[in-house]
Amino acid sequence: MSECRTCAATVTDGDAFCEACGAPLGPDPTGPVQSDPAQPDAVQPDPAQPDAVEPDAVQPAGLEPDSVQGEADLAVCRACGGAVEDGYCTQCGARAPSPRDHFEEHPADWVAGVCDKGKLHARNEDGMAVAVTAAGVAVLVVCDGVTTAPESDRASLAAARAAAQALTGASLAGAPPSWDVALRAAARAANAEAVGVAKVLGNPSEPPSCTFVAAVVVGGTVHVAWCGDSRAYWVPDNGEPVALTVDHSLGTELIRGGMSPDEAEHDPSFHTITRWLGADSLNATPDIGAHPLDGAGWVVVASDGLWNYASTPEALAAALSRAVTDDPDPLAVARHMVAFANDQGGHDNITVAVARHGAHVD
Amino acid sequence: MADFKAEVFQNEYLSAGSTDVHAVVSVTCTNAGAAGQTGGAAAEIVIIDTSGSMDMPVAKINAARRAAAVAVNEVIDGTWFAVLSGHSIAQMVYPPTPGMVKMSSSARADALGAISRLRSGGATAIGAWIAAATELFDQLPGSPQCHAILLTDGKVEGEPSTALPAALRRARGRFQCDCRGVGDDWQVDELRGIADALLGTVDIVARPDDLEADFESMMRTAMSRGVADARLRVWAPQGSEVLFVRQVAPAVEDLTAKAEEVTPLVRQYPTGAWSDESRDYHIAVRVPVADPGQERLAARVEVVIDDDVVAKGLVRAVWSTDVQLTTKINPAVAHYTGQAQLAEAIRDGLAARAAGDDRTATVLLGKAAKLAHESGNENTTRLLSKVVDVVDADAGTVRLRNEVAKADEMALDTRSTKTTRIRRDGSSPGTNG
Repeated sequence: MSECRTCAATVTDGDAFCEACGAPLGPDPTGPVQSDPAQPDAVQPDPAQPDAVEPDAVQPAGLEPDSVQGEADLAVCRACGGAVEDGYCTQCGARAPSPRDHFEEHPADWVAGVCDKGKLHARNEDGMAVAVTAAGVAVLVVCDGVTTAPESDRASLAAARAAAQALTGASLAGAPPSWDVALRAAARAANAEAVGVAKVLGNPSEPPSCTFVAAVVVGGTVHVAWCGDSRAYWVPDNGEPVALTVDHSLGTELIRGGMSPDEAEHDPSFHTITRWLGADSLNATPDIGAHPLDGAGWVVVASDGLWNYASTPEALAAALSRAVTDDPDPLAVARHMVAFANDQGGHDNITVAVARHGAHVD
Repeated sequence: MADFKAEVFQNEYLSAGSTDVHAVVSVTCTNAGAAGQTGGAAAEIVIIDTSGSMDMPVAKINAARRAAAVAVNEVIDGTWFAVLSGHSIAQMVYPPTPGMVKMSSSARADALGAISRLRSGGATAIGAWIAAATELFDQLPGSPQCHAILLTDGKVEGEPSTALPAALRRARGRFQCDCRGVGDDWQVDELRGIADALLGTVDIVARPDDLEADFESMMRTAMSRGVADARLRVWAPQGSEVLFVRQVAPAVEDLTAKAEEVTPLVRQYPTGAWSDESRDYHIAVRVPVADPGQERLAARVEVVIDDDVVAKGLVRAVWSTDVQLTTKINPAVAHYTGQAQLAEAIRDGLAARAAGDDRTATVLLGKAAKLAHESGNENTTRLLSKVVDVVDADAGTVRLRNEVAKADEMALDTRSTKTTRIRRDGSSPGTNG
């Protein structure tokens, strides 16, 4: 038996989520979080205090793909009050809500993420892992599972956690020689997990697969890597918001071919992705980029469940601004943006991870 | 101890407002062992029709003696057994006095001697034979795994019409019975009714010389059934309706009417004894609708032995607005829906033909020819071609033959329920697939 990091309830070893509060369990994916997290501007790796890092505490990685299935079910059906067995109500058959449907991570007071089922999908196939290392490096990873391939929810969560582990590990080892190299390694680790889930399932003809986007906020720079159509944005408090990723999708091809973005978004093939992670991936090599964080602002990493309702950097910035005005705490901001997507219809799973760069919003 | 595995094949996605969930549940049993060796004792009765007609021609009674002998040779030592001669009554062949004995080398030798002295004469009172077998099984200690083989060459006569239904009511659940008709003077419906009630197979053995091989394989199969009795237990949610539970491989057999209620939400269906084998079940449930994004368990399908759940499969319903997801038909469901339609078209087509409605018969048997061709069911295609001239299998165009051997028609009738198995990769074995 061990203890839930979030609410201190006693939990069963091997469970994926805390039965009491729903927080994900497993090895701490965030590494040791500083009790008084420094602002990113102030954060520099401190070579004078290498001992501050406890390697044991930073085997993040979180869950094995299998343990995702071990998630705790609520004991009573929300729809009719019946008992729950196999994850379903024994009376009306309704699927018992699972902690996997909605989870949040808030590793530091400047970094948070929310991963939500949305309204129209029965399962949350988005995966997310958000971490902050002792050195003050923020890692935001989002993987969007492909709905048509069964068990993509396992692949996406395992992939996101593997990438976050690889990147926090790289940070702990001191500044990596190159964040590009670390991001490529993280994508490989994520892909290996997605392929591993397919193996556990006996290599089905439609293997689970997912998109991948990772952002590393270190010093005054954000490094990004991505496969597919999950995105990263930089939204400065003052200045033009920018998209840090270019979707690997037929939509991008349409726009490259001369179609207007607005027109392309209405094309049925717009969302067909051309790169992804998984056993059937033709190309799991991420594109890599970096962008200077010029002044205070927000790094936003999101699945299409959000950006479908705010695709352009300007629209996304507007949604973010409304969220920040309501409550500038990063967790509140991520929750607010998820709620915004659900209010728009919640047609897909929604994941929003944010990192605040620079001074607190007043 | 036998191992059971249940696999579910379905498209769980339903469009908004849809309520009907279809799934194929494939149940596989391994390490079944042998009858009577892993569980309780096993018991076998061989019932040979010795009515007067078995002498006409005399080849029939001769072949029946040889067939009974090879069946007895397949019975494992230690198995309770008896041989009955059926005419106006059921008469003990072996042992000579009413009862059953355990198989041993001396019992086998005595039984073979008694079988060689079988004589024919009298009526065909199948109800009396079934009743006698039930009584013999009932006298055994404990609750052994009971199985019988019934051979006849004619239809019931020489007993009241209520005798057979009454005997079947008593025998149901007590023993399984494989039925064989030799020649072409027996009635397919009558034997099929017995086999259906007693969870057995039915087939025609048109040529008496083929009886031996058939009896040998039937008894060998019975002796390999190390699992005495398994049931399929189906839970469906409140407000739902189980539309049907149908075995679809190796043969179509509707179990819907055999449901026993366990609780208001749980029904149980008998499947009889199992050897190392796979059987597929098509299950359809109508569930209360839910909003897009909602998911409901449509059925929990369990294999149950003595109230122990030995395998389980979940049939799900997920409502979605994504037509890419909701419009896909699962290949296994599609294949077995076609195989059930094929069996139905043949049965109804033959019934129409018998009633002189050639037009309906031509349409239905044409549909059958098309379905059999498309699904690669070569056995059925071959049997059909003896009853109709297939003009265009793709289009389902056939011409009724004027001259049809009665045995060919009966073979088509009895074997129309045999299905082809869908391949593991989900493709139908059909030539078009």
